Amino acid sequence: MSLILELINEFHRLKINVAVVLSFSKQSLTCKIPKPSFFLPELCYEMANRTDPAAKSIRGTNPQNLVEKIVRSKIYQNTYWKEQCFGLTAETLVDKAMELDHLGGTFGGNRKPTPFMCLIMKMLQIQPEKDIVVEFIKNDDYKYVRILGAFYLRLTGTDIDIYRYLEPLYNDYRKLRQRLPDGNFSLTHVDEVIDELLTKDYSCDIAMPRIKKRWNLETVGALEPRKSVLEDDFEEEEEKEENDQLDDGMEDGAYEKDYHHGRSPARERDRDRDRDRDRDRDRRRDSYRYRDRDYDRDRDYDRDRDYDRDYDRERGRGRERDRDRGRDRDRDRYRLREEKEYGREREREREREGRDRDRDRRDRDRGRRRSRSMSPSRDRKRYARGSMSPRRHADEPEDAVTRAEPKKKKEKKEKKDDGTDHPDPEIAEANRIRASLGLKPLKL
Amino acid sequence: MIEVVLNDRLGKKVRVKCNDDDTIGDLKKLVAAQTGTRSDKIRIQKWYTIYKDHITLKDYEIHDGMGLELYYS
Repeated sequence: MSLILELINEFHRLKINVAVVLSFSKQSLTCKIPKPSFFLPELCYEMANRTDPAAKSIRGTNPQNLVEKIVRSKIYQNTYWKEQCFGLTAETLVDKAMELDHLGGTFGGNRKPTPFMCLIMKMLQIQPEKDIVVEFIKNDDYKYVRILGAFYLRLTGTDIDIYRYLEPLYNDYRKLRQRLPDGNFSLTHVDEVIDELLTKDYSCDIAMPRIKKRWNLETVGALEPRKSVLEDDFEEEEEKEENDQLDDGMEDGAYEKDYHHGRSPARERDRDRDRDRDRDRDRRRDSYRYRDRDYDRDRDYDRDRDYDRDYDRERGRGRERDRDRGRDRDRDRYRLREEKEYGREREREREREGRDRDRDRRDRDRGRRRSRSMSPSRDRKRYARGSMSPRRHADEPEDAVTRAEPKKKKEKKEKKDDGTDHPDPEIAEANRIRASLGLKPLKL
Repeated sequence: MIEVVLNDRLGKKVRVKCNDDDTIGDLKKLVAAQTGTRSDKIRIQKWYTIYKDHITLKDYEIHDGMGLELYYS
């Protein structure tokens, strides 16, 4: 009897007159057939895969078309879909979702879809209301229900909604089981999956619709700038370091300790900042050491004051400005601070130092003051640096040589290995593609 | 270096230059780069023999100019 109810449900959803159905099903009432889709007329079977005619179109197309044709056919042929996903409503869907225990796309040689995918398809078919989806996401007990809701929202929601509802899920660190395309299970976490949803454009064998980048929405004003939960923790760390520096500016040991503590977890921006500051401090410290001894006297005083000012400016107003005006303004003290990009090489840094140093000397010779900062310590330093110690000069040619060498080596290497400069343009092109895919060049 | 022709009989015919010690997986990546589909969606066959990803072209005895069938999964 419940089967008939399910059937009626399904047809009702598709807005077919229920009376007609009853006359169809009279036959099936007498026989004990557990799976209606196999025995009732073809009509029913095909209809099961149709979207609700009242459903709105998503991104200009039938919502089921968000899943591409081949994967869609695989889902329709899947047993789980045929047995369990027939006649589901929003409520019964929740029950099925609670039974989920892994997520994934298609797997195996046959590209069999996972139950997760079948439920996503069902959601696309029945189109639950937005509040239901948000309920899925907000629920805390069942993590797979949450992921299901998040995935569906990513497919069908507006950009703002996506960022607004999915970003809080970054704080969820629970483990998830994921089915890989070769059929094995692997471990992943909720926040990793959310990150994939927000940054990549393909997940679980479904192509994600394009959404605007976050900073676009921020500049328009539709979204607040991203505030991480870890922001407070990080600020505390920074303040603590700052205080430590002010107190005992003399000791290098303190620096070591601080920047080991100062490592804050997992955020790239923070890590950059940390690393940059660490490198600054490091480099500043080192360079001070083998510069003139005149410095020692003002070194620490300078460093503290400078560091604070650096630090405030850096934090407050972003790095681009520092970088652009860095040369002029910051020659002595700040010039040792490199660009704030991650992974910038040491050669280029030294190169820049060399260049700055030249300019420094030049300017000093001409007596032109280009520095905009009014710190007295600054001047002291400039004059101090002006000494032409032999050590200083020794550094310069070394830098020039080391600067040139790595560049040359790199170019030579490229010529030999990649084969991208082959005279035949077709082969060069093919080699270029191979290099970008990580394959060795063609053997001719 | 050998050149292999892949045809999907629906309009996509692709000539790919590769080494004979490349695997089928590498060949799929090259085809994906040229056709624009994703490499994990491509299936390379020769009349019901589906070629496996980890075996080299030399082991499958795929020679220069040979035609393979391109399907999608």
